[in-house]
Amino acid sequence: MHDFNAAGIQVYALSYDEPEALRDFREAYDISYTLLSDPDSAVIRQYGILNTLIAKDDHPWVGIPFPGTYVTDASGRVTAKFFENNLVLRAGPEQILRAVTGEDTDPSRTQPPGTERKELTPNIFVDGPRLAVGVLRELVVRFEVPAGRHLYAAPAPAGMLAVDLTLDDHPKVVAKALQRPASHTHTLPATAEHFEVHSGRVELRIPITVNGTVVSDEGNDELTLSGTVSWQVCDDQVCDVPQQQPFEVTVPVTGVVASDLQARPGQSDIRARNALRHFKKMTSRRL
Amino acid sequence: MAIEIETRAEQTDKGWRDADGFVGPVRPGNGPRTDPRSEFPTGPEVGAVLPNFQCLDVEAEPFDFYAHRGASRAVVVFFRSAVW
Repeated sequence: MHDFNAAGIQVYALSYDEPEALRDFREAYDISYTLLSDPDSAVIRQYGILNTLIAKDDHPWVGIPFPGTYVTDASGRVTAKFFENNLVLRAGPEQILRAVTGEDTDPSRTQPPGTERKELTPNIFVDGPRLAVGVLRELVVRFEVPAGRHLYAAPAPAGMLAVDLTLDDHPKVVAKALQRPASHTHTLPATAEHFEVHSGRVELRIPITVNGTVVSDEGNDELTLSGTVSWQVCDDQVCDVPQQQPFEVTVPVTGVVASDLQARPGQSDIRARNALRHFKKMTSRRL
Repeated sequence: MAIEIETRAEQTDKGWRDADGFVGPVRPGNGPRTDPRSEFPTGPEVGAVLPNFQCLDVEAEPFDFYAHRGASRAVVVFFRSAVW
């Protein structure tokens, strides 16, 4: 949340809860962003995202939206949106911050110096502090490709290896499709052949989260992600030997889904005390 | 538009597991667990201006989105419930 505030970004979260229910939520998690109450689902309907799969008499569930997030620029124009078919999934704060700040992942603009033939070492990490149930974070492989050299984009030319990241299946992990960065066309001076390549800082990302099977009593679980990174780095004359390296990344996991946009959970017992009262009110006002 | 409900589910000793492995007390396809199987409406598209709206803030005071946002970049999250 600090990052959003520091960048002057306004964060809003809207639901069909009553204001007093949102006050409890705010206090339980020490929330600083703007909570909004839409108890008749008027805004949800106005935006066209009412969950119409729920029967009109199925209280209190009727009135909820298809959950999602919009990101806008300073003029209020939508620059990104995050909606998932599985309604447990939601975009992690890191992805949202990247979308709203437009953080530079354009590889051609960050060319590190260097002409020595050093081994290129990819950096593999998860972009958040932990994996929480339903919150999508990303497994990232980052290459800093020196100036004058490039990696092949997929599909690679015959006989060459495209940069790739694969994640082994894990029963506790839900993974979405690999996201590749934009490539650019590179022309070999000698032959005038064109190839699609990546250069500079190159990041491949796999959105991941954990499903409910991670919950343990202490909540101190860790999980090890494994997979393979493949790449082949070339300059205009010669290509290095293609590389395929297995990796392992260990990340803490938690079953508790605290407020996503904040790093630390607060006192959730105030929510538990009043939750039944709020739930009854939400049901009765709709009957 | 007719949207199909995702009903793939497996009963386990801890509850109902959906196709992605999430386990919960409610069977997928019912109540709060009605997920869309394929395309579903997601509101304003990328490139569109987010419409203004009025609702209540957390103090139960009237709230106007455009008035509050001013000229700031915004993140607007529609979530299901802070209670359940």
